[in-house]
Amino acid sequence: MSKADSLSQVIDFVRAAYADKAPFEIVAGGTRRGVGRPLGELPLLDVSGLSGILKYEPEELIVTAAPATPLAEMNAVLATKNQRLGFDPADWSKLLKSNGVATLAGAASCNASGSGKLRHGGARDSLLGFQAVNGLGETFRGGSKVVKNVTGFDLPKLMCGAYGTLSVLTEMTFRVYPKPGQAAVLCLADVTPEEGFAALRRIAHSALEPAGLAYLPAGMMDDIGQDGGRGAALIKLEGAAAPLEEKIALAHGLLSDALQRLEQDPFSAIGSGEKFASLPGDVWRVMVAPSDAPHLARQLNVRHWLGDWAGGVLWLAAEPAEAARIRKLAADAKGEAMLLRASAQSRMLHGLYAPQPPALAALGRAVKTAFDPLSLFNPNRL
Amino acid sequence: MLLPPSDSKIIARRAEIIAALKDIVPDGVVADPSGLATFDSDALSAYHQMPLVCVLPSNREQVSAILKYAQAEGVPIVPRGAGTSLSGGALPREDGILIGMGRMKQIIEIDYENGCVVVEPGVTNLNITKAVEANGFYYAPDPSSQVACTIGGNVAENSGGLHCLKYGLTTNNLLGVTMVLPGGEIVTLGGKSGAQGGLDILGLVTGSEGLLGVVVEVVVKILRKAPVTRTLLASFDSVPAAGACVAAIIADGVVPAAMEFMDKRAAGAIESYNQPGYPQDAEAILIIDADGVEADVSHAVSRVTDIVAKCGGKTVEATDEKQRARIWSGRKAAFAAMGKLAPDMICMDGTIPRHALPQVLEEMAKLSEQYSLGFCNVFHAGDGNLHPLIVFDTMTPGEFERAEAFGADILRLCVKVGGVLSGEHGIGIEKRDLMTDMFTSEDLAQQGRVKCAFDGRGLFNPGKVFPTLSACIEQGHIHVHGAQLPHPHLPRY
Repeated sequence: MSKADSLSQVIDFVRAAYADKAPFEIVAGGTRRGVGRPLGELPLLDVSGLSGILKYEPEELIVTAAPATPLAEMNAVLATKNQRLGFDPADWSKLLKSNGVATLAGAASCNASGSGKLRHGGARDSLLGFQAVNGLGETFRGGSKVVKNVTGFDLPKLMCGAYGTLSVLTEMTFRVYPKPGQAAVLCLADVTPEEGFAALRRIAHSALEPAGLAYLPAGMMDDIGQDGGRGAALIKLEGAAAPLEEKIALAHGLLSDALQRLEQDPFSAIGSGEKFASLPGDVWRVMVAPSDAPHLARQLNVRHWLGDWAGGVLWLAAEPAEAARIRKLAADAKGEAMLLRASAQSRMLHGLYAPQPPALAALGRAVKTAFDPLSLFNPNRL
Repeated sequence: MLLPPSDSKIIARRAEIIAALKDIVPDGVVADPSGLATFDSDALSAYHQMPLVCVLPSNREQVSAILKYAQAEGVPIVPRGAGTSLSGGALPREDGILIGMGRMKQIIEIDYENGCVVVEPGVTNLNITKAVEANGFYYAPDPSSQVACTIGGNVAENSGGLHCLKYGLTTNNLLGVTMVLPGGEIVTLGGKSGAQGGLDILGLVTGSEGLLGVVVEVVVKILRKAPVTRTLLASFDSVPAAGACVAAIIADGVVPAAMEFMDKRAAGAIESYNQPGYPQDAEAILIIDADGVEADVSHAVSRVTDIVAKCGGKTVEATDEKQRARIWSGRKAAFAAMGKLAPDMICMDGTIPRHALPQVLEEMAKLSEQYSLGFCNVFHAGDGNLHPLIVFDTMTPGEFERAEAFGADILRLCVKVGGVLSGEHGIGIEKRDLMTDMFTSEDLAQQGRVKCAFDGRGLFNPGKVFPTLSACIEQGHIHVHGAQLPHPHLPRY
């Protein structure tokens, strides 16, 4: 394993790898190494030393940090100015049983957003700019350090969800958002998936700017502190004191007075997949048009599942033998089934995503080659 | 500004190319000079070029067939929506096919259950909102040309508007597009689920200025209209006080729906143009919108009012819808009002870190003296997006060139203080030769390789966005003559 603690060390390592045509795996906190096609016994480039907040400008709504900055450190620093990252970065370490430290670049590279993605979008909506080293060993920048920019191609979008296959990130600039003073979680108990998701969509398409909209079926409600009956629709609202009370009243008006306010906030465990950490089997995330969620959930017919993002994503645990069936049902619903946690064998066999149509797959390969012509970075992981 | 030299061999084959396009789109080929004259420019009207031929497809299969033909024959393609680009993105080529998407203007599906609308690229931005507003929804990005500009053009330019700080640009409001690649292949990126199953190609093509393909279908998010909107007009004795106030509002955690700055000269010109009631003794004015649920808006208005007072400013709130509209009508008429100051005007577009505003304003004043040209400032203050307006007279020899050089220096200044060349108008041909001021050769080479991944032959919108070796420093900008704007009926922010 090699360690790169500075930009120049990253450049040296990549240039040597380029000369030797030697692919390698990029590791920062290491919590997400078990996601995507296994890379086998490749050499490691440890970039965990590229850590720390480089410049935080709360009044400009931006923060620039080294990529391996721990999420916890970033969240704590932003909280001192009542701000937060917009994409609700999810820490998958409990789900993936990792002792590592979840980092900024890890979350963005894996598009890991929790329930709060509803509010300000995903990592791609928050990453304003970056510096990185491409597969030729050249340093380049994409985007900028201002909140509104359309100059040149929007390369920051590509870096989010690329799973480290395009470049070694060395610096990242994110838009940050005000952190509302208070939050409340409301529960509509004893509802079917159809009723529950319909209620969540009503809130999603209201002016309430919800920060979490999840449906928990029977058997997944152990942490809500009350009997959810057939299933519970959970609604997280945010704001300063008076606006929050108004939003709660409006939510009652939109749904029913049966809404109960919960003492605890289960959304962190929902958005991070922690609720599936101790469940056996493979763990999937299926993205789908929200209105198709209840029907797809019934078709999937698995014991352990839940819906987040008002139905935009279904989490489920299933036997490894179910993989082909899950992929087919997701594809039939025009959704996408991502295999998040599985054995190396399953991940090798099924990949992170279903194969793309040929023209799109060819385009993806061409874009990868534009950054990393020798496929040095995390080869075949996506 | 120079485009890459035309290929005389292609021009010599014009009749054959027209015939081939007529085979594909029998009723949609424009080849006569008077018809083509309609398409010889976009809203960067200082530059004109007749296209080789213009083709107006009606469906994606025709688009695919046109691109396959162009690819096989090596003919450049320039995509065009409504031609409202302020940076010359749709300027035709003498040796290129102009592919106009205006006929593909069907709203395919309105899906309230999933909060989205599926449209063809030629649907105008405003028509999306009009289609859903009766049900209390709207499409958030609102470029000033929204009555005319198409959603396909918005995707190509990653268009912004007044409400970006809170609601994002086009890219943040898209769920998917279907596009035809330069080789004619049709690919779908995202969709109602937003999932792409691989790299975020959707994010890459948004804002790619017609360099990577032609969009034939778009899925946009729609939002519920905020129940309450209130508007404040704040005035300040000094520009730095207004700048400090903007920073303090943001730092306080308020995200206004819109926050617009204008200096004394702009406010004066606007007041004499359509009398929106702007205070004439103030050095700087802010117009601030807060929207949301009642209590959220009350909270924001009370915070903003306090902060403005602490910064030494005065606040007036619009008492009704009529007064709100009047306050905004002034801001929206800013470009036209400037036309009264001098016969000609160019509008620049750059973004700066907000803290650099006093420095940038001071240096712009020095540049104004250096070039002996007047200017004024309107500014999307919340997100630091500057729109300096330079006034001049083309009839005075050398003034147009001086105005362009002044504009280029302003953009270099934006980059110098940590900002960018374009916040929302795009690079096009207008700012192409300044790209080297913002990006290193490695940065540009990387973007160039991405371009090659889509368009190996370099046939898509050649000469736009990226500087060429034959680059000349001459720049073009939105050009207003005799107070007549291109698309004079459109407000310009």
